[in-house]
Amino acid sequence: MSDSLEAVRDAVVEMRDEEISSLVLACLDEGYSPVEVIEKAVAPGLEIVGHKFENGDFFLADLILAGEVVTQATGMLKERMSPGEGAEKGKVILATVRGDVHDIGKRVVGMLLAASGYEVIDLGIDVPAEKIVETARTTGAAMIGLSALLTTMVGSIREVVERMTEAGLRERVKIAIGGACCSQSLADEMGVDAYGESAVAAVRIFDGFTGVVNTD
Amino acid sequence: MESMSPVERVLRTFEGKPVDRVPCFCAMMESRTANEVLGRPLLPMDKLMDLPPARFFLNKWGPALTPVFVRPTLASVLHRRNLGQIEMGFDAIWAYMDDTWIFLDAKTIALTTGSIFNVISDGYGNLTYMYRGPGITTTEEFDAWPHWPDADAVAQRVYRYYKKLISRHGEKTCIFGYGFFGGLQEAMNWTFGIDRAPLWIRRHPAHVERFLDILEEISIKTHTAMMDAGVRVVLQTDDFAYKTGPFMSPAMVESVFGERYRRIIRNVHGRGAKYVLHSCGDNTRLFDTFIGWGVDGLHAYENTSNVDIYKEKKLHGDRVTIIGGVGIDYLLSERSRDEEIVEKVKELIAKLAPGGRFILGPVHSEDGVPAHKLAVMIEAARTYGARPVSP
Repeated sequence: MSDSLEAVRDAVVEMRDEEISSLVLACLDEGYSPVEVIEKAVAPGLEIVGHKFENGDFFLADLILAGEVVTQATGMLKERMSPGEGAEKGKVILATVRGDVHDIGKRVVGMLLAASGYEVIDLGIDVPAEKIVETARTTGAAMIGLSALLTTMVGSIREVVERMTEAGLRERVKIAIGGACCSQSLADEMGVDAYGESAVAAVRIFDGFTGVVNTD
Repeated sequence: MESMSPVERVLRTFEGKPVDRVPCFCAMMESRTANEVLGRPLLPMDKLMDLPPARFFLNKWGPALTPVFVRPTLASVLHRRNLGQIEMGFDAIWAYMDDTWIFLDAKTIALTTGSIFNVISDGYGNLTYMYRGPGITTTEEFDAWPHWPDADAVAQRVYRYYKKLISRHGEKTCIFGYGFFGGLQEAMNWTFGIDRAPLWIRRHPAHVERFLDILEEISIKTHTAMMDAGVRVVLQTDDFAYKTGPFMSPAMVESVFGERYRRIIRNVHGRGAKYVLHSCGDNTRLFDTFIGWGVDGLHAYENTSNVDIYKEKKLHGDRVTIIGGVGIDYLLSERSRDEEIVEKVKELIAKLAPGGRFILGPVHSEDGVPAHKLAVMIEAARTYGARPVSP
């Protein structure tokens, strides 16, 4: 890895948002394409951040700061891409289920997914199952992330799964859940495809999904 | 051992002294549960506030109506929640006096410290609120925020409330005084947005310091007012963690909040009272920090997070009082069987009561907890918590 790419990667890991623009420009000046900068510097940096988070060396605040650096870098690089270059990994619908208005965890997941190359369709909070199904139908998204914090809202997760099945979409759309009231046993009980304990785990789960599903 | 009063039982527990039985704590009763205990109010608040005239006035003059209408109404609602806890016979209650709110319109309530919440019905005739988002997104908005709390005025109202509550009910239960919503970090997360707060710390340190100055001042003044009114235990909420760990590293928590919390807690200790910190989530990596600040008790140890309450007892049980233990996700819900609650209470007492410094109670404020489940918990604590601890 060249010094300039290494510098971008390290800026992500060290959360240096004030320097990232000039470091990215230096890579481009050296002749690297925007896609190369993302694949060889930004993505490896984010991967290191994820590992550090899972090892307990980084905390949520560090994820947010690193995510901000990545967002700045990818924003600059995407502006310089040719049409069709650097295709997104896929569309992910995020929603906090009906009856629950907690937003924070979902927003952090959305930020990391976007920084990791996903097109995130955030439907917000207190989202009815019908809206989630309709969005999956109209956008062709093949992945859904449902957030639920309140124990009393688990029925809303079940409702989404049932509506997706009734609409004939369940086979082609993977569903993951996360949030304070969620667990692997709840995921099993609700018949969803995965449970994510943290924002970093969510990215890994959707990366796993992209290997097995086709987007429209 | 001779029977003790609730206050004596609780205060001796904080000091690690022998008590006649394990105290039982109520973690801020919701209106729905209070209505079960006290009977439903004649007028359902959610319907009342949804009437066209109420909506009209709140939409037009929400902030102006706060002192004359909203604040007394809110105080009355919260007082009922405190009375519900007292009526049930807990040894200690988390009294809920929350005096830094302002109505912006009929559907929007704000903390005067800068965060916005939706006003919603709880589905049982009561009003409640859910966080909507930050009220301040730029330094310009910070400088222009028109609702910063007047700490002295809040403290005066807090004093009047607790003076009355203690004089009427201070012998029945140990009142953990609580005077405004949120702690330093939590309020910062709400005001700036949790996904922006770390960026504020980095990019706008002077504004963050000004914000924390406000929070520290109101903490110290409301705590002082409560203690002057007779409160012996001060409770402050600050959710430093979520399900799997802290929001910030212990080093960052210490550098941003450490000295301020030390001053807040010294003020409480200076008047001979105890300080309890409620912090949700898995605080395993922060407990040493909290204890270093001087906290006397810690509440939450949420069973749905990764924290291990039994391990914490072994690690820190000789220095801090552990409060909680009974899950609200299942055990204190309609779905559980009473025997399961009793078994859990027995297990908690067997593992946490030896050595003292344990107060049994729900692991969180009680969202959707039916009164009869709380009654089962209280009864089990009385039956199995008597010294010597029953096997």
